[in-house]
Amino acid sequence: MIDPDLQALITTLKMAALTTIILLVIGTPLAWYLAKMTSRFKIFIEAIVALPLVLPPTVLGFYLLIAFSPEHLPGQLWQQATGQQLAFSFSAIVIGSVLYSLPFVVQPLQKAFEQLGDSLLEAGALLGAGPIDRFFSIVLPLTKASFITAASLGFAHTVGEFGVILMIGGNIPGETRVLSIALFDHVEAFDYAKAHLLSISLLIGSMILLAAIYWLNLPTRTNDKIRSIREKLNEHATHE
Amino acid sequence: MSTPLMNKDPLVQLAELNIDIAVSYRQFDLAIKQRLPLGGITGIFGHSGSGKSTLLRAIAGLEANTQGEIALNHQYLINSSSGISLKPEDRQVGLVFQNSRLFPHLTVFENLNFAAKRCKHSKLTIDEVIELTELRPLLTQHADQLSGGQQQRVALARAMLAEPRLLLLDEPLSALDQHSKTTLLKMMLNIQKQLNLPMLYVSHSLDELQQVCDNLLVLSQGVVIDFGNIHQVIHQLNHYEESVIIHQQTSLSLPIKQLDNGHGLTSLAVGDGQEIYLIRGTDFAQHNQIRCFILASDISICLTEPANSSIVNHLFGTISQITHQANNVLLTVNCGPQQFFVTISAFSQQKLALTITQDVYLQFKASAVRTFIH
Repeated sequence: MIDPDLQALITTLKMAALTTIILLVIGTPLAWYLAKMTSRFKIFIEAIVALPLVLPPTVLGFYLLIAFSPEHLPGQLWQQATGQQLAFSFSAIVIGSVLYSLPFVVQPLQKAFEQLGDSLLEAGALLGAGPIDRFFSIVLPLTKASFITAASLGFAHTVGEFGVILMIGGNIPGETRVLSIALFDHVEAFDYAKAHLLSISLLIGSMILLAAIYWLNLPTRTNDKIRSIREKLNEHATHE
Repeated sequence: MSTPLMNKDPLVQLAELNIDIAVSYRQFDLAIKQRLPLGGITGIFGHSGSGKSTLLRAIAGLEANTQGEIALNHQYLINSSSGISLKPEDRQVGLVFQNSRLFPHLTVFENLNFAAKRCKHSKLTIDEVIELTELRPLLTQHADQLSGGQQQRVALARAMLAEPRLLLLDEPLSALDQHSKTTLLKMMLNIQKQLNLPMLYVSHSLDELQQVCDNLLVLSQGVVIDFGNIHQVIHQLNHYEESVIIHQQTSLSLPIKQLDNGHGLTSLAVGDGQEIYLIRGTDFAQHNQIRCFILASDISICLTEPANSSIVNHLFGTISQITHQANNVLLTVNCGPQQFFVTISAFSQQKLALTITQDVYLQFKASAVRTFIH
């Protein structure tokens, strides 16, 4: 029999890792289109992406719970496709996490793409590089730091979430019982020893992760170089 | 839109660019209809906001709201009525920007290789291009370690390695010091001749353009003002008053008569037996012809043949046109086959009572005959 807290840790890491991967896959194109968008709808999409920053997690969780229930369309479709109920499943907390952590991934990437601008991409195109080629040979190497930031923030924020998971995941060991929920359980049961252990582990883990992000984003020679070139490019950005 | 070619041999066929486009923005419209034969370097001149850069960007495929047709060697780059619009990466058109736009995460060599490995029909090797642009000592450096002139050399080399059918140059020298300008201009001329690569060269500096261009296209406020032989176009610009203001001047390509008169002066044959002297440049020996210009304000008029003067150039000619402009008068003086342009004050014109068909002497110092790159 595996230790319940260890099991909660495994569930948490699985959820956060999967969420981060999904967020990078959908967040990158979303951030790209937001960075290049000039239409009036841009601010609406930006507002929707940023909503989880200000909305109480329980509000998001409440709406998701209703949507995921078998009585409503998303839940019904899921059930038809997979044969399983969506609410109170591992899939539900991953979907919830993706929505909840979206701004933490999209915003740094969008900012990086906006700063990168079009000038180097135009140069790449005229040298024969197509869009996918340009992304991997120009955009990705020049915005690597922002990708690391986005992935780390998305991961860390997912590890720390509570309200959304409580609403849509419940507390099923091995399925939806994550660290933050386990901690809440211990406190409710007055098992402060275990609560301390979990809390201090999460605290130290988060500190290490954040320190690593800041270390990776330290102004290095390469970053300085990129920044100085960006500035030069921006000076000339006004073409006729 | 195109006439069938007489010559079917693609090697002999002269490159040609047919443009009939409109690009509209809220504050600015560009409407160009022009056929450009692409021999050598074709200059595009105009002031800021004339649409020079927008035209180049439209040819390169970087202006999304371009409407109309552009055909390079009778092949459409864009034809909006039939829905053709090649992506920039498919046009085989190179562009050297004012700011070199080197990839900051790559070394000089990697920047060159970026172009070389994406070029599907490479005839040039990286080594050849490195030799032509003298980049060998810089290959392992990053863009930020290079001077402005070096960066533009890398940008030029990188553009060549994509082996475009047409190379566009958008003010490539405007951010450089005089020495780098000279070096790069010579390099561009050399490359143009060796590779026979047609170039469109955009600049707001007439000095630069008249050193390297054979033909000149002049834009003002989004439309074509003039196109043709560079000297003729510049002479026509002397008469424009409003939109295209240039320093009125005589622009010349003249054969060398005597390389050095023993005092560091070179003489050029004007064509009717007369000659003009200018200060000998270091590389005049490599040329048969010298391109130079004389500002109209640097020439004075004499009614009798000047004698006992330190001014070495005096040419005999006949006034063929008198144009009044504010407090000045622009005189066109024919010296044999060559036209010279002279501005004098209206006061002087009245004092000397100058009229058309009158014979006069032009006087100017050797140092008033200016060259740019020599």
